Amino acid sequence: MPRWTPSLSAIPPSLIIGLVGLPVCIALYAGVVGGDGATWDHILQNRLVPYTLTTLSTLFVAAIIMLGLAVPAAWIVTQYEFPGRWIFGWALILPLAMPGYVMAYAWADLMGVAGPLQSQLRDVTGLTARQYWFPNLFTVPGLAFVLASTLFPYVYITARAAFSMQTRATLEAARSLGAGAFDLFWRVALPVALPAILGGLCLALMEAAADYGAADFLGVQTLGVGIVRSWNSFTDVNTAARLALMLVCIAFVFLIVARMYQGRSGVQQTSTRWQTPERSPLSPATAWLATLLCATIILICFVAPIARLVWLAVETKARTPDLIPLLQSTALLGLIGTGLAFGAALIFTLAAKRSRILRMATRLIAAAGYAAPGAVLGLGALFFLRETGQSLAGWVAIALLVWVYVSRFTSAGVEPMQATLDRLPKNLDLASQSLGSRGLRQFWRVDLPLILPGALAAALILFVEILKELPATLMLRPFGWDTLAVKAHAYATDERLAQATLPSLLIVLAGLLPVLLLSWRLNATERT
Amino acid sequence: MAAIRPLIADQVSRSFGTTAAVNAASLTLNPGEITALIGHSGSGKTTFLRLLAGMERPDQGQILSGDTVLANANQHVPIEKRNIGLVFQDFALFPHMTAAENVMFGLRNVPKPERRQLAEQWLDRLGLAHRRDAYPHHLSGGEQQRTAIARALAPKPVAILLDEPFSGLDPLMRDRVREAALNAVREAGVPALLVTHDASEALVHADSIAVIDKGKILQTGTPDTLYNRPLSLEVAQALGPIHSIDAAALPDAWRTVIGVSADTLRYRPEAVQLGHGVPVTVRGSKLAGAITEVALSFGGDETVYAACQPGAPLHPGDQIEASINPSLVFDFTPKSS
Repeated sequence: MPRWTPSLSAIPPSLIIGLVGLPVCIALYAGVVGGDGATWDHILQNRLVPYTLTTLSTLFVAAIIMLGLAVPAAWIVTQYEFPGRWIFGWALILPLAMPGYVMAYAWADLMGVAGPLQSQLRDVTGLTARQYWFPNLFTVPGLAFVLASTLFPYVYITARAAFSMQTRATLEAARSLGAGAFDLFWRVALPVALPAILGGLCLALMEAAADYGAADFLGVQTLGVGIVRSWNSFTDVNTAARLALMLVCIAFVFLIVARMYQGRSGVQQTSTRWQTPERSPLSPATAWLATLLCATIILICFVAPIARLVWLAVETKARTPDLIPLLQSTALLGLIGTGLAFGAALIFTLAAKRSRILRMATRLIAAAGYAAPGAVLGLGALFFLRETGQSLAGWVAIALLVWVYVSRFTSAGVEPMQATLDRLPKNLDLASQSLGSRGLRQFWRVDLPLILPGALAAALILFVEILKELPATLMLRPFGWDTLAVKAHAYATDERLAQATLPSLLIVLAGLLPVLLLSWRLNATERT
Repeated sequence: MAAIRPLIADQVSRSFGTTAAVNAASLTLNPGEITALIGHSGSGKTTFLRLLAGMERPDQGQILSGDTVLANANQHVPIEKRNIGLVFQDFALFPHMTAAENVMFGLRNVPKPERRQLAEQWLDRLGLAHRRDAYPHHLSGGEQQRTAIARALAPKPVAILLDEPFSGLDPLMRDRVREAALNAVREAGVPALLVTHDASEALVHADSIAVIDKGKILQTGTPDTLYNRPLSLEVAQALGPIHSIDAAALPDAWRTVIGVSADTLRYRPEAVQLGHGVPVTVRGSKLAGAITEVALSFGGDETVYAACQPGAPLHPGDQIEASINPSLVFDFTPKSS
């Protein structure tokens, strides 16, 4: 590879790198340098430490729940044959379509005093509401449960891949040495798959740390909630910046650990001789137990909350006022954001092909945006606004919001395009250049058609991610530009859950599209 | 210690869908002997090994250890209860355990303090004393395979089954690893099955050989019997090169020596010996390692092939003489009575 020489073609990617990286850099700078506002001691004792501890304990409980849900499910789905196994194989990914805040609304209603669970309990036992203990969702474990139930598929996907990559020979060797089903899992399969499982867990925890909506709705004081509240109170800008710094550090640690573990799913032995695809049969009783386990997970994490929202929408004949303008502004913001983030992702992907330095820079910046929670990026944009002396209104606000979208989601767009490119032969570029194709011509004739399948997936993912985004949209949207997510959250926190159901269901419906795409891709790779 | 018993497959069949992978196969593995099972890929040799190990259940027939039934149509002792050692082509070591820990895995019935000692003894015996604490990804292929053999033998199995154990190894080290590994297997004194597609490996190292084709075991016997007295063309082909010739094209002298009874004859190339005999013309020769393959003609269109070590280089057109060794000429035409 020739030494990198500055050229005109490096300018657009460099500009975009700056654009994508700026919000998180501003937020970090503000967090480190600080400024006016309360004293450091006050922030540390009254804000930073309690918010951080709440966040970390939520993540800890969520990690345990996610492992408990995902690892056994992944193991039985890869290892055994039981009724419904094929459906569960992909259905266990569906909860990813639910944003944490929607899951929180649904379960808060299901578990409320007037909700179906407690009503049934009272009917059966004859007790009154004060006479029994019932788990409270509006707590740290409650938030952890809500986040874990939407994010555990990250762990499930990596665990399943790691389990199915272990050759059957390894497992059969263990069995020939006298290992029963229990030993097989604890002494062989789990230790070998552990790096991959931890990698998936870290990604899920990074997403959980970025949550704002569920924590705010459930009244749990996490860092994400703290940032938005501190900013809204206007007096405490400095606190917001310090909290953001802490949150970014936590998220980055998870991202770095996840990347360290990526692709290290044990020793990849590649014998095909012994990879009989057959799964072990179970005795009828155990098989139904496996079915029951998977069905329960899907019921709790997907079917029950959605059924409850649908029931609420139908039962109360809930109307969401102004649905049409709401859809319009959501679609418009989504389309502009998708268009720009897509352009940035495309330029990143192509630039990464051309130069090693640009490749590293784009990776780093895209990852920084990906790991930085929306609340942090929103804060960075607001600091930028304050420095320029503009006010948050009209097109300035929209431009700022779209900027944050691009910063946060460009990496989500790069990933599928890069995956498409990685599957192509390495010398394709040289071949096309040897045929006299360069510059724009190469882009139109070679790069774009090749990247197209990945690009379509990228556009879909970007649109849905922007649609689901809550904290930054909440912080930056100008008057009259509410999105579905913002409105649903406003109704839900206002205890008008009935009105929140329709926008929530629309978000889930949109969220299902990329999840189904992902599940289709996973099945396709597993079959080959 | 209980006497070591043979491992017996008795008329065992196993089908996948409509294809019979193993079809009424019978084979007895005797203690202290290495039995090679050879066949090309898809012949059913791996399925047969899996049936013996307990990874597959037979549709018909039974598998016995001495007189104890391991599997038949009604019962099936699962793999983890059979105590049969397995060695795989890709070693299948546990990647998260050291060599010693791998060997200790199957020693659950041994008191803890002795486990490590026993594992180390096995590793020492296979020449891996200095690699005890290495992880599999730090071991060479040969070291991994010797660890796998130690792991399979340490729990004192009732039999050991090796599936293409040496074909994944670098040819340079294959011989040394094979020697060490098979010596350890033989010393263990248990019935051993060596599944391989390498005829020379089977001929050199096995005490007896079984040839499997399309799920059927065609012939079982000593290497000498199978190479020199194959009962069918398939068996003859499985063990080494074989050529066919139209009997009518042979010179009279050879026909007399052979005692021709069929139209088409098969012969091993080393049956044709250069030296005194009938005059032949060299059509071509090529060096194939220790031996030279020579194509000869009697003057007609027919070509005979010889594998030999000629004293001097041969050139097309050279006139020499050749004789035939009738014991390496076979007639596989079905006998009509």
